[in-house]
Amino acid sequence: MAPSQAAHVPTLDNLIKSFNNQTLEASIESLIFLLKRRQVKGDECAKATAHILRQVVAKSKWNDVDQLLSRVQSAGSRLARAAPIEPVIGNVVRRVLGLIRDEATEDRNADDLASEAASDIQSLTPSTNPNAHPPQRPAHVPVRPSPSVISTGLQVSKSMFNLLSVANPGDSPITGASTPMSQAQPASVHALRSEVMDGIEEILDEINQADDQIAGFSDIQIHPGDYVLAYQPSRTVERFLIKAASKRRFTVIIASHAFSDGASEPPYAMLRKKLNAAGVNTINLASNGLMAYIPRVNKVIFSAKAVYQNGGLLVDSGSCIAAQAAHEYLKPVIVLCPVYKFCPEDPSDEVSRGELGNPSSYVSYANGPAVDALEVENTVTDYIPPELIDVYLTNLGPQTRHHLASILADHYKTEDIGFSLQLGEP
Amino acid sequence: MPAENTGAPINGAPIDTAAPAAQDAAKNVPAPASSSATPTTSEKLTAAQLKAKAKAEKAARRAQVKEARIAVPAPSPVQEKGAAGDAKGGKGKGRQDGQQSLGKGGHLQVHRGSVAGRQPSSPVPEKDVRSGIPDCFSHVPMAKRIPTSQAHKDVHPAVLAVGQQMATFALNDSISRLRATLLAFAKVIESYETPKGNSLSRHFVPHVLNPQIEYLTESRPMCFAMGNAIRLLKGKVNKFDIDTAEDEAKEGLLEWIDFLINERITLAEYAIARNAAESINEGDTILTYGHHRLVEKTFIEAKRDGKSFDVTVIDDPFERSGQELAKTLRQAGIPVLYSPNLGGLRPKVAAASNVFLGGEAIFANGSLHASSGTADVAMSAMNAGVKVIVLCETINFDRDRVSVDSLTYNEVDPERNTGDCFRLLFDNTHDKYITGVITEFESGGGNSPAQAILALLRKQEDPLID
Repeated sequence: MAPSQAAHVPTLDNLIKSFNNQTLEASIESLIFLLKRRQVKGDECAKATAHILRQVVAKSKWNDVDQLLSRVQSAGSRLARAAPIEPVIGNVVRRVLGLIRDEATEDRNADDLASEAASDIQSLTPSTNPNAHPPQRPAHVPVRPSPSVISTGLQVSKSMFNLLSVANPGDSPITGASTPMSQAQPASVHALRSEVMDGIEEILDEINQADDQIAGFSDIQIHPGDYVLAYQPSRTVERFLIKAASKRRFTVIIASHAFSDGASEPPYAMLRKKLNAAGVNTINLASNGLMAYIPRVNKVIFSAKAVYQNGGLLVDSGSCIAAQAAHEYLKPVIVLCPVYKFCPEDPSDEVSRGELGNPSSYVSYANGPAVDALEVENTVTDYIPPELIDVYLTNLGPQTRHHLASILADHYKTEDIGFSLQLGEP
Repeated sequence: MPAENTGAPINGAPIDTAAPAAQDAAKNVPAPASSSATPTTSEKLTAAQLKAKAKAEKAARRAQVKEARIAVPAPSPVQEKGAAGDAKGGKGKGRQDGQQSLGKGGHLQVHRGSVAGRQPSSPVPEKDVRSGIPDCFSHVPMAKRIPTSQAHKDVHPAVLAVGQQMATFALNDSISRLRATLLAFAKVIESYETPKGNSLSRHFVPHVLNPQIEYLTESRPMCFAMGNAIRLLKGKVNKFDIDTAEDEAKEGLLEWIDFLINERITLAEYAIARNAAESINEGDTILTYGHHRLVEKTFIEAKRDGKSFDVTVIDDPFERSGQELAKTLRQAGIPVLYSPNLGGLRPKVAAASNVFLGGEAIFANGSLHASSGTADVAMSAMNAGVKVIVLCETINFDRDRVSVDSLTYNEVDPERNTGDCFRLLFDNTHDKYITGVITEFESGGGNSPAQAILALLRKQEDPLID
């Protein structure tokens, strides 16, 4: 049954290719469908979201920055609502929103220089005379708060006003109404569109390269002779270990949630083959409890599904036990988390309770009496409180939880942080 | 090629030296009493033999690898007899003083060594089985099925059966293993007849009981309860006067075994379940891990008292023994939440009012030896500020051994013993993660630390030996 099911699941690449041939709406719907069925998850969510948003920018109709922002927001929130347990989607949407704002501001700054020069000469409010402006100007006027529309001379300090006013959608009709030059828009829209699409391309590159960048730090973290406990190694962790194996001799202890004894080959066979080929010993643990092995282990490594702004982690279930056990024995816990997994939010109650998964692999329907009698909870995600984590190894380098705020500030715009709050609205 | 050339002479030499040694030993066998009577000769023997024995083993092993079991039937009985005799002769002394002080951890090694000497055929398959164990766990012993044909000739059929059941984990937990061992020993005692010129108190332990114990240990490392019981049994045997009539002594021993089973197993189980059930309050949520007999009894007992409470069963996905417990409790009308793995343990533990854990053994430093994963649950609970209560019979308390990590005393799962799939059967829960231990001595509360019970036990055990 499982393989036939798998056959219907398109690979991420196929999915992304299909976006080009479908209408935008169909692409969004197909991704939402897969997200809801948890057939796209983790890093794939990030990539798929970025691709969809690129389609949104490319295909949807928009005439100015506000419209673009709201298009991206609505598409993004639909995706995010389809998979509330994948905060990465929200992160990518925020990044794209921030990107659009940046591009818009950049253009406007360019304008401002020009307009300031112009206003010096004209000494009249230039915005009342729109025809005097360069053609790309009007596209950005709507973003601007109304005060600045009135007096362009004060634009140097606009960023602070911007923060407040842009978040307020009520502004846009007013500023929109004041947009006078519809005939000049296509060119500017076109420029912005290509710039934003380039930006999304950069985000995609970042997502794709993050694993390799993180792996670049592996020889700093792993020392010869170490025993490294890798809990359910994801692709990020696998790359990290393989990179380390090219430079160091150590032992990897792979722990996982559970694997069926009947499986044809032991889990992580590929990873183990690669590591063994590089001369690194591997041990597959068939144990959920890790306290017994931690005294042997020098460090614990796993990857995060998301990092919250308090430094807490959303992880595969069981990682929490690994982190707790390591913490008890004062062994370092290293979390691999690309920057795009950092969420500017706090974990919700649902997150700390954990997501419930399919219990049928533990209590099968064939086992009637058990199904009848038992209330089975198979938790598939864990929340790890920040105090258990020693190193956050990002693609920008190792971080501690005290400096996460600066990373968040670098990557997200304040006005987009509330993005998740809009999720509740239909 | 050169390797083989050098190998041949080495092979040749020890066999020559080994042969007379084995003969010496064979001579010693017919008069076993002399080994204790003439310690000087036995000491000489061991000194001379140790080397020869080691070499003979090596040679035998190599020969056997080469022959690949084709020619085994012919040479092995001879060798086995000779070597067995020498093992016995040499051991008579070393064993007894080893026994008192060392306890199981000590014997384990002794046994393994002597086993290799006695049965040259056994190391070959053993090596193969253990070769997959990762290096860092290679010191941990593992249960092993010994074909009944390969067992020592003196092993009693009842013990053979118990050994097989232990090796296959049909008898799994410490108490059922202890009970089966004691009952089998009762059979051994019943069928025992003191040879002429010997007395039971001198002959029984070294010549009859020890081979049984060796066989059991070889099948699966002894649990600590068995170690305790055997120590008590030996003490009991040694107490008999040399002139005690055989029937009287046997009668005494059988009675004592009955008493031990009654007192330390049956009654203890009941008392613990009662004590623990009293500590369950109306409306509690009790969390437990895996399936332990005492925990199950406790819940059933508490339910019978008319208390209504919830149970959260956390299971080990690689064992799934908790499912049975969950079903049993469900049938008894207790609401059960079943979690098949340790995922989401933190919130589940935080929601519980008490954690009940069953133990295999408790060491002298108060740490708990229990099925793997127990330590994680206890640690989580302690960190969440939830009481962790351990249920354990006092026969499981080991007063001679201290364990600070899980790699000191443990067992490798014989089913999962390679790098592809590796598992330790037990783990060690530090006593800082345990709020209290409930034993048959305690009346409710469960707030006494394990050390207090150890002190109590020291007092209690002395009259028991008498």
